Amino acid sequence: MEWFIAKIFAKYNYWVFILLMMIGFYGIIAKDNLIKKIIGLNIFQTAIFLYFISLGAVKGGTAPIVDEEIIRKGYVYANPLPHVLILTAIVVSVATTAVALSLVIRMHQEYGTIEESEIIETSKDKGMTWT
Amino acid sequence: MNRLKLITLLLIILLCALFIYVAEDIPVFGDPNTPPLKSVELFTLEVDPLASLLNQHIVPETLSGELVKRGFPPPSRVEKIPDLEGEWNVFIAKEEPRYAKEEKYYWVKKEGDKLRISRYAFVVRWIEKGLEETAVPNMVTYGLADYRGYDTLGETSVIFTAGVSVILLLRRRSRL
Amino acid sequence: MKDEQRERNIVVETVVRVMIPFIQLFALYVIIHGAGGPGGGFQGGVVFASAFILYVIAFDLAGARARFPESANTIFSSLGLYLYAGIGLLAIIFSSGAAQYLNYGFIPFTSDFYENRALGMDFVEMGIGITVMAITASIFFDLSQKDEKESEKEEEESK
Repeated sequence: MEWFIAKIFAKYNYWVFILLMMIGFYGIIAKDNLIKKIIGLNIFQTAIFLYFISLGAVKGGTAPIVDEEIIRKGYVYANPLPHVLILTAIVVSVATTAVALSLVIRMHQEYGTIEESEIIETSKDKGMTWT
Repeated sequence: MNRLKLITLLLIILLCALFIYVAEDIPVFGDPNTPPLKSVELFTLEVDPLASLLNQHIVPETLSGELVKRGFPPPSRVEKIPDLEGEWNVFIAKEEPRYAKEEKYYWVKKEGDKLRISRYAFVVRWIEKGLEETAVPNMVTYGLADYRGYDTLGETSVIFTAGVSVILLLRRRSRL
Repeated sequence: MKDEQRERNIVVETVVRVMIPFIQLFALYVIIHGAGGPGGGFQGGVVFASAFILYVIAFDLAGARARFPESANTIFSSLGLYLYAGIGLLAIIFSSGAAQYLNYGFIPFTSDFYENRALGMDFVEMGIGITVMAITASIFFDLSQKDEKESEKEEEESK
């Protein structure tokens, strides 16, 4: 029992990250509506950010802003390096979502529907071959 | 039960068992002594002739020989960490314009019978010397705009490209 | 063409009209105080653009387009990137010989090497804020545009 608690339950951040990632992955693959696929993509990206930032957490650490009083009291700082990299990744995620939504709008103007199965049917009638 | 569901269930159990087997080496959530936060372990040496030399602020020949043999930069001086018994900081001398001339690089710690030698992670310099090198208190801001300024330039061009591509996709041909 | 009956709510309109300048002022505060506390360029830029989005939600799209025209949008979105790359070019020019790109210490704002870095960082953060604001507002205006062919079809059906 001790081994279980020390080795597995103490690292609960990995279990939460895997749960969120699998939810997003299921949404991308198994849903028919195009907007739901984009939502699944966003959940997937959020799970990856959560994992990367949780690697830089320190027990009892405060926000990484240098202050004289905090150093004198003896606090430790959380790791600021993952925050820097994830800030860039969040902006990339926003850009990807914007382009994906504009593509969905164009597909709606061309085919008249945003269900994936109906789009495949319509494009088969127009002559495309899906193997 | 359905055959697909049986295979999925077996696969989930197999992946859980694999994760439990791997979970011993993954760092614990919130531990301040793991490699990305403090130090990376390099090798170990014998204590006896070296500890007294280190206490007298002399760099031993075996230590610098081992470090150079493995391809690391050679050390220049040793200093004892105050208030702690059996731990030393080893510095190296660098040649970079307008930056500090020497840097705290290796960490030597006595553990029972052996002397463990590790290298400090990059984040230690980021936290400790950031305020005197850039005069800005916020660690994330000077990391984003000064140490990693080139990445932020690429980042701004990414969002600019996304805006241009949305314009290209959504304007009609007659109004473009 | 835009004669659809749209309900106007007086409470929402009054509150939004009072709140928008304070939202923009808070966004400027977040950009400039990125050095002393939490904040920075990206965060402040998005808060600034959310003021325009609030205007579109409470009123209509044509009014927002009249207040933030297309020409201003193109100028602002390129200005931030020019500012960022221009500071780097200044650093190359002033560090005569040892070409250090984006090492703000060499640009002579003041006489201290480390103080110059803090001032260079402030300029760069303002450039990022301007670009992010213009691009986010432009993306939102484009995504919520009513299509010409669709609005013509609606007119024919309603006649």
